[in-house]
Amino acid sequence: MNKILNFFILAGALTLIGLGFLPPKISSKFDYTQFGALPVQHDGRIKPIDTVARNTLLQLSGKQVVVVREHGTIHPTTWFMEMTMFPESAHNYPVFRIDNPEVLGLLGWTDEEGKYFSFNQLQPFFPTLAQQYQKMNPDPDNRSVFEQQLNKLYNALTLYTKTLYGLHPMGMLDSLTLEYASWVALIGPGMEAIRLQQEGKPFNEEALQQFAFVADHYLEVSKTSTLGIIPVATPEETWKNVGHSLLDAIPQGSVDTITQNYAQLISAYRQSEPDLFNTTLTETEILLAGHISLGKVKFEAFFNQFEPFYRSILLYIFAFVLILMGWLFQTQSLLRNAFYVLLLAFAVHTFGLAARTYIQARPPVTNLYSSAIFVGWGAVLFGLLLERFYRNGLGAAVATMVGSTTLVIAHHLGTSGDTLEQVRAVLDSNFWLSTHVVVVTLGYSAMFLAGALSIFGIFKSIFSRTLDKPFIQSCYSMIYGVICFATLFSFVGTMLGGIWADQSWGRFWGWDPKENGALLIVLWCAIMLHARWGKLVGAHGFMIMAVFGNIITSWSWFGTNMLSVGLHSYGFMDSAFVALLAFVLSQLAVMALGCVALYRSSSA
Amino acid sequence: MKRLLKFFSSLRLTIVLLSFALLVVFFGTLDQVHLGIYEAQKRYFESWLALWFYPAEWPGGNSLQTFFIPLPGGFLLGILLIINLICAHFTHFRLSWQKIGIACIHTGLLFLIVSGFLTGMLQEESQMALDKGQAVRFSQNMRQAELVIIDKSDPYMDYVTSIPTSLLEERKTVTDPNLPFSLTTLHYYPNAELGLQAQNPEAVPTLATAGAGAKMGLVVFPQPLSRQDNVVNAQTAYITINTDEGPLGTWLVSSILDSDRFPPQQFDYQGKTYEIALRFKRTYYPFSLSLIEFTHERYPGTNVPKHFSSLVQLVNPEHSEDRQVLIYMNHPLRYSDYTFFQASFVPGGNTSILQVVKNPIRSLPYYAVLLVGLGLFFQFSTYLILFLKKRE
Repeated sequence: MNKILNFFILAGALTLIGLGFLPPKISSKFDYTQFGALPVQHDGRIKPIDTVARNTLLQLSGKQVVVVREHGTIHPTTWFMEMTMFPESAHNYPVFRIDNPEVLGLLGWTDEEGKYFSFNQLQPFFPTLAQQYQKMNPDPDNRSVFEQQLNKLYNALTLYTKTLYGLHPMGMLDSLTLEYASWVALIGPGMEAIRLQQEGKPFNEEALQQFAFVADHYLEVSKTSTLGIIPVATPEETWKNVGHSLLDAIPQGSVDTITQNYAQLISAYRQSEPDLFNTTLTETEILLAGHISLGKVKFEAFFNQFEPFYRSILLYIFAFVLILMGWLFQTQSLLRNAFYVLLLAFAVHTFGLAARTYIQARPPVTNLYSSAIFVGWGAVLFGLLLERFYRNGLGAAVATMVGSTTLVIAHHLGTSGDTLEQVRAVLDSNFWLSTHVVVVTLGYSAMFLAGALSIFGIFKSIFSRTLDKPFIQSCYSMIYGVICFATLFSFVGTMLGGIWADQSWGRFWGWDPKENGALLIVLWCAIMLHARWGKLVGAHGFMIMAVFGNIITSWSWFGTNMLSVGLHSYGFMDSAFVALLAFVLSQLAVMALGCVALYRSSSA
Repeated sequence: MKRLLKFFSSLRLTIVLLSFALLVVFFGTLDQVHLGIYEAQKRYFESWLALWFYPAEWPGGNSLQTFFIPLPGGFLLGILLIINLICAHFTHFRLSWQKIGIACIHTGLLFLIVSGFLTGMLQEESQMALDKGQAVRFSQNMRQAELVIIDKSDPYMDYVTSIPTSLLEERKTVTDPNLPFSLTTLHYYPNAELGLQAQNPEAVPTLATAGAGAKMGLVVFPQPLSRQDNVVNAQTAYITINTDEGPLGTWLVSSILDSDRFPPQQFDYQGKTYEIALRFKRTYYPFSLSLIEFTHERYPGTNVPKHFSSLVQLVNPEHSEDRQVLIYMNHPLRYSDYTFFQASFVPGGNTSILQVVKNPIRSLPYYAVLLVGLGLFFQFSTYLILFLKKRE
């Protein structure tokens, strides 16, 4: 019986991982997977089209997929193909997310119409939006919520337009090849007319006008499009977008093959010729492979499709449920299986972290999103070590809890665009990113792990009828150990930051909000340890303090970042602030429960 | 006495002091939004007592903004923590191998607090703006201004008399043995903007009777003192020069009227030529730096800065030094007692701004941190080893 159960549990976990290797089911003869893996340059980085599609969708709608009532869920790459090849249909997809009731009201809608709207739905309101945009407070720090949300919508529309110009100059999409050919034909006579005009000789006015008209349009496209599609001699330099490439036909006398191939792809897509599409795609890939090695870009496309962090969340939750059942039914084998599932989840989590490090060629933590992923990873690692020593399921349980929560937080932080964004010049030091930032973040991990252990300890004391003294004692010693490491990591990490600051701008300590936040953690750890050594607190008191540590750490992690937005702007009241506030309140509630437990244990 | 020692060496006091430190850091950080980092640092962390007021823009701010929390300032807490630490060591600790980690941690922390005090007192910060091809021998402190009278009669040497703005604020008459005249402040503005009388007919007419203020008809618009960290206040004043024969005239001086963009304001008295100016406080060096090239790289196709660097010529005639130096992020130039960091630039690429720092105890926190880090590591690893042994 047990063996069968073991088999099903592990088979389930492995299937969950295995599914990531399968391409998503889309009934299309066009090879969208290969298309999504084509390399482009966007936001300063060479990446697959699939990443551009996902990040664009995230910025527009906060989601990586489009949900259309008739078609169901649309894969990001297929959406991008529709956008750039069949905009007539893409304009009907609801990709603009509008939450603000005042903005909805401006367009004559209520929130009953839903949150997502299509380009075609918005189009009649462009004059209204432009008019309101003109009236907006020019200082971004002093804008009202309405103005901020309006600005967001305006930016989304701009991004949408830029995406439309990604692969072609928005001419006649059914006859792009013809358009390019006639453009090349215009160049010779046009240039000749310009030369004659400059020499003051009679020239062909019509040829000049036609040439100038088209060239002007392409110049405009080259300024609008942000998608680099043609590699240059050194791939690190700025790639050419479709506008640049068409303008380059003036000196070269012909349009770049890659641009022509994209035109071919578009016409094949529009005329429903999947075979032509797929062969052209392979040709294009071979052409691009001549300029850069495609391994990293293809790996990134796979990484996108595999969604390691999504899989880890599911596995962590699976492991958590198994542990709860193991405790409930007093089954050791369930606990053991939970540990294996947790190991699998951790392996997938580690793969995701390593993959990001490889793609970005940077240490694992470079922005808030990656810090969330790393905080979870560190906490799971510590939890696994605890489980290895105590073997009572507690270490594993908190590991799953902190691991899944921080990954969910990361998911919400990742909606503002490319999470593998480039590191700003100030931070451009792999040495300090990999020492200071990583160590401080491990300090956060330890703080949250201690907090989570305490929440378990408090709940156990409150909700079990008998006082489980050995459990509380082992819980207490775990929390103490973890806090010791939190102190070590937080202190050393913060001070490494001081050394970095002294090296980069001559100030060891600058009382910057983020530094102060880290200092708060160190101070709180010191208070906790001294209170314990002075026997001012016992097990429950220490647990309550560790839960307060969650509040301090979350302030240090997120609260200080919200300050920089400025209290003057209502940005302070945005959704992240509400989430932080809710978290703080929940922790205060747990602390109140802890006080009840403290009272009960001291009166017992 | 014994009771006093007991009080100062108690662990409870440590916890109370650390808790207050926690509160000061938290409320000080909150107030940085209103005060800016520099001012908040002065009020909370480099003070004896700090007051935190409920911000008016918070919920219920209208009625609650008079509500305040008094807190001990950073200086007070630092000193009490040092006393507490020293007393505790004398009363509680017997030196033993098990306690060596704790002794390390506490000694290191002591050094860290002391180095914090000393840095506050000894560290000098200023900025050096380098224009392409121009040798610069001084840096400016953008937070402090000085009134200078420069005797230009010697063709080889300028004689500079510097008067701190605190004397202008008090509007006292200033005399100096090197100057054959005295100076009186008619008005002093900690921050102001200047305009032309012709364009602002409704403005208070200029008080200047000599110099650029009188010639151009400059009027002063007093501005509130800004505490934003990246905003520079333009100190401005009307100064009258009095001689035994009566007043020479009144000059408008302001740190906006800098010598780069405006001609110097000069006057002659007793056969000598003098220049009068209110400028950012300068530090002069026995060497010069000049910008050869400023590089600003961006990530391809974006405006995200990737890299800044300044290629600089360093010339020191005393040591017959003349060499090129590359200053960039995380790679400052350390020369004589000063460190020059790449701080900023003026768009266009012809001007690079360096941050100049002098801190004689720069290495102290390094040793302190090393001591605490080793102590923590030693203490917690012995704890871990003991724990693992017990489990076996």
